Parts: sequence; structure tokens; C-alpha cells
Amino acid sequence: MYIEELTLTNYRNYNKLTVSFDQKINVIIGENAQGKTNLMESVYVLAFTKSHRTPRDKELIKWDAEYGKIEGRVFKRNQSIPLEVVLSNKGKKVKFNHIEQKRLSEYVGSMNIVMFAPEDLNLVKGSPQERRKFIDMEIGQTQPVYIHHLTQYQRILKERNALLKDLQRQFITDSTMLHVYTEQLIEHASIILERRFLFLNKLRKWANPIHEGISQGKELLNIDYNASVNVSEAMNSEKIRMVYEQHFKNIENKEIDRGTTLIGPHRDDLVFTVNDKNVQTYGSQGQQRTTALSLKLAEIELIYEEVGEYPILLLDDVLSELDDHRQSHLLNTIQGKVQTFVTTTSIDGIAHDTISQAEIFTIHDGQLVEER
Amino acid sequence: MYYPEPISKLVDSFTKLPGIGPKTAVRLAFFVLNMEEDDVLDFAKNLANAKRELTHCSVCGHITDTDPCRICDDRERDGSIICVVQDPKDVIAMEKMKDYQGKYHVLHGAISPMDGIGPEDINVPPLIERLKDEEVKELILATNPNVEGEATAMYISRLVKPSGIRISRIAHGLPVGGDLEYADEVTLSKALEGRRDL
Repeated sequence: MYIEELTLTNYRNYNKLTVSFDQKINVIIGENAQGKTNLMESVYVLAFTKSHRTPRDKELIKWDAEYGKIEGRVFKRNQSIPLEVVLSNKGKKVKFNHIEQKRLSEYVGSMNIVMFAPEDLNLVKGSPQERRKFIDMEIGQTQPVYIHHLTQYQRILKERNALLKDLQRQFITDSTMLHVYTEQLIEHASIILERRFLFLNKLRKWANPIHEGISQGKELLNIDYNASVNVSEAMNSEKIRMVYEQHFKNIENKEIDRGTTLIGPHRDDLVFTVNDKNVQTYGSQGQQRTTALSLKLAEIELIYEEVGEYPILLLDDVLSELDDHRQSHLLNTIQGKVQTFVTTTSIDGIAHDTISQAEIFTIHDGQLVEER
Repeated sequence: MYYPEPISKLVDSFTKLPGIGPKTAVRLAFFVLNMEEDDVLDFAKNLANAKRELTHCSVCGHITDTDPCRICDDRERDGSIICVVQDPKDVIAMEKMKDYQGKYHVLHGAISPMDGIGPEDINVPPLIERLKDEEVKELILATNPNVEGEATAMYISRLVKPSGIRISRIAHGLPVGGDLEYADEVTLSKALEGRRDL
């Protein structure tokens, strides 16, 4: 799929902008604070109805305007589909093919996006929470039922923790209710874990060879799941449930002592290793960036597997950070298949090959000019 | 804005009702001024009586003007089945169906440690007492299908199971008369889980 045309009205620093894009590579050149990231963000919002930078929709509307609007024409499955997101103080409206969609969840997925921005380095460098968010979002994009299990899990977890606090302070002594929550927690936890394992399997299948390619065969990536209980990825949800049941039984007193839930998917983490060394702690900046890039590129293939069409790739200020070889490998992988948007402050940092095939835009103070 | 004291007091009372904001309250208060005096007095009497004469049934906890309530007192109804619900409004919903001939037990809430509500804070202990005294063969747990409702249902079932009483949980799934295509994924997957043989 690809974006044919994008129109922004009162979006961030844009008054009004209409621009047609190339099916393949679009390079957007501009100095700092001219609106490069805002443009990338608007495409992201068109896909997910919310920004990757802020939870407050109000910030997306031009400061003196009542409402902001993003319209896009997306070409997929051999037809051109108009999408629209309207942001106002009263909330947002989304339209698919001119028809308003009451539920945002039914709109999301109309257009698939993979974004790679400098902050994605946190996927490798950051806290376990970042990696759980990554894995949960990726699974959630294609499996709405997973989101349901996750939200149920989190609500039960809160109740269970409140109960454990009461038990710890001996406000109550009867543990029947604790067992009820444990049983409910395990029901969702085992399904969450099973789905995460299935996802990881697919992720590895793509990420490992991609990483090997980018590093010219010098680096071997591996992704491990670090679970808070002793499970193996070959287990199905039924087996996982039994492991959880046993483990929760063993640590019951410890949990009451500490007044909180000590095991479960909310305590798990992903571990990335390159050549058997943990990238998070021992990897160089370059290795960390390559790892994050491999994951994002794998995501492209995963979405293709699920949806049957390649998503749109947004590379915000990251291409010039890669050396020539990594750049050209990246562009070879997506060559001709994936519509890609690249933002950069200067054309100098980008390999010549790329530039010669791309549509070039320059951006200045919210105005976009097509160079060729 | 200055109002004579009787009006501002009336406005104040109306704003205590759910769904009534300051503007609606003012509108309602002025409407009352134009009503027939008899109607106003009836209104006031009905309000007071609803509060004064209605109590919770000592057996099932449903709201009632007689104790025990009409449902508990009805000899035609099957006392061997008790349907456990969270709220008096749920009893009224069940009664509209006119299909259920058993009795009820109203919990007045659901267990939630986060909100500081334990089993003793809702109508659970009287239910356990009731099961000891009465000839009950089946308990239908009809608490809401959310985390609190499910937890409450599971708690009661754990408490009651050893006594050998049959315990069931109401089904969740597709609404009757609805189209499959309009159901959300979670409801559909629940409906699939709860499928039955034909």
C-alpha cells in the first residue's frame, strides 16, 4: 500500500498543505524546526489516530485553530481509499471511504505504518517496559483479542495487588479471594504468553537474517524471551497455565510478604544478543541501532504476512545516522516494495544511489516544495 | 445570579439527582413553581414515601415495601433456585423476562479490593446463611461480565462448592436478534468459546 496524496489543514505548523507522493522513496530535506517530524507524525496519526509523540490531541491542532484535519488517499488492494482524521477540542472523528467510523478500533488498521525514529533506540537501550510495549503493540495491531486479554490482565492485576496489600497489613486473613484472582490472572497470563511466543517465533524468522544482511554477516542476532517463570516457548497455553499454577502456589507467602504480584507477563522482558553478547549492556551504539533497525524491518515483513500488503515505512532522521553500507542494505531490502519516507537535514549524509531514485522535497516553514 | 431562598434550595436539591446539572435544575425548579399545588404535594409525598417505606428485604436484599419481599413471599415460585445479581435493577430486568420462576439474592455491589470492597461489605454472608437454612439446589451467578463481577462469582462458587449445590454462571455472547457481522471480536470469541452442541 502507499499514500498517493496527503492534505493537512491546521496541523501543527501547517496551515494548509496538499502533496502527492512517489510510490517508492520520498526524501524530505529541511533544516531543524521546519516541520519534517510534524509531517511524519501526521502520517502516523492518519494510521493510528494518535501521535507517537504526545498523548494530548490538542497539541496537534495549529495553536490558533479550532480544529485540525489530516486527509490521505491510500492505494491498497488495487483501489484508492480516502482516509480522514479530524481533531478538535471536542474529540476526534475518523472516516474511512467518507464514512464515519464510530469505533476507533475499527478504523485503525486501514493503513499500516512502520516508523523508525531516533527514540526507537529505546527499544534496545531502554527499560523492559519499552520492549513489552513493543511486543504488545505489534501483536495488538493484528489481533484485537490480544488487547482484550491484556487489559483484563491489567485490571485483575490491580485488584490482586490491592488485595495482597490488605493481606500484607493483615486487614484480612482469608486467602480465598487471592486464589480467585490468581486463577483469573493465570487464565489471561497463559494466553498472553502463548501469543507472545508465537509472535517471537515469526519475528526471529525475519529479524535474524535481516540483521545478518545489514552487518554483512558479521553479526548474529538472537531474541530471547526472559520470563518470570520457568517456561519454554514450545509450551501451549495449557502447559503454561500449569507452570503458573505451580509457581503461584510456591510463592504465595512471599507475595503476601511483599504485598505485590511477583510473576507474570508484566514482569517479563525481551533480551537481544548479538554474537552471544547482550546488546543492551555490551552493544555499541551502532549495534544497538542496527538491532532496532532489524526489528523494524522484520515488522514490515510480519505485516506483509498478516495483511498481504507491505506497510508504509517512515524513517525520521535516522538514515543519515547509518553508514553507507547499512543504508544501501536497508534500501535494497525495501527496494520497490515499500513506500518510504525519509527525512534529513542535509542530502550529504545519504548515499548517492538512494537520492538518484528518490522523489526529493525541500521543506521550509511548513511549505513543501517538490524538487523533482 | 440571585434567587429567592426557596428556589435556590429547590435548585440545590435537584442538582443532587444523577444527570441533572445546574441549568436543568433551574429549569425544573421554575417548572415546579407553575405546577398545581396538589401535584407538588403528591410529588413531595411520593419522594418521602419511596425513601421511608422502602427497605431491603431481609431475605434476598431486594428493595421492597413489605418484608419479606413479594418475590420471596410468593409460594408459586421455586425456592430451590436462587439467582445472584449485583443490583436491584438487575432483578427488575430479570423479572421483565417473565421466564424465571426461581428466587433472587441481591449483592448490592461486587468485590473490589482496589475500592476497599470485600465480601463482607456486600450481601455475601447473608447468602451463605440462607443456603444453610433453605432447600436450595441451584445457584445461578448472574453478576456482571467484567473483572469485578467475574471475581465475585468465582468467590461465591468457591465458598459454596463444598456444599454440593449446583452452581452455574450465566452465558455471555451474542445479543439475540443482532447480526454476527456487527459483534466485536471479543464478544465473538466469547460466543465461540461458549458454543454448544445441536
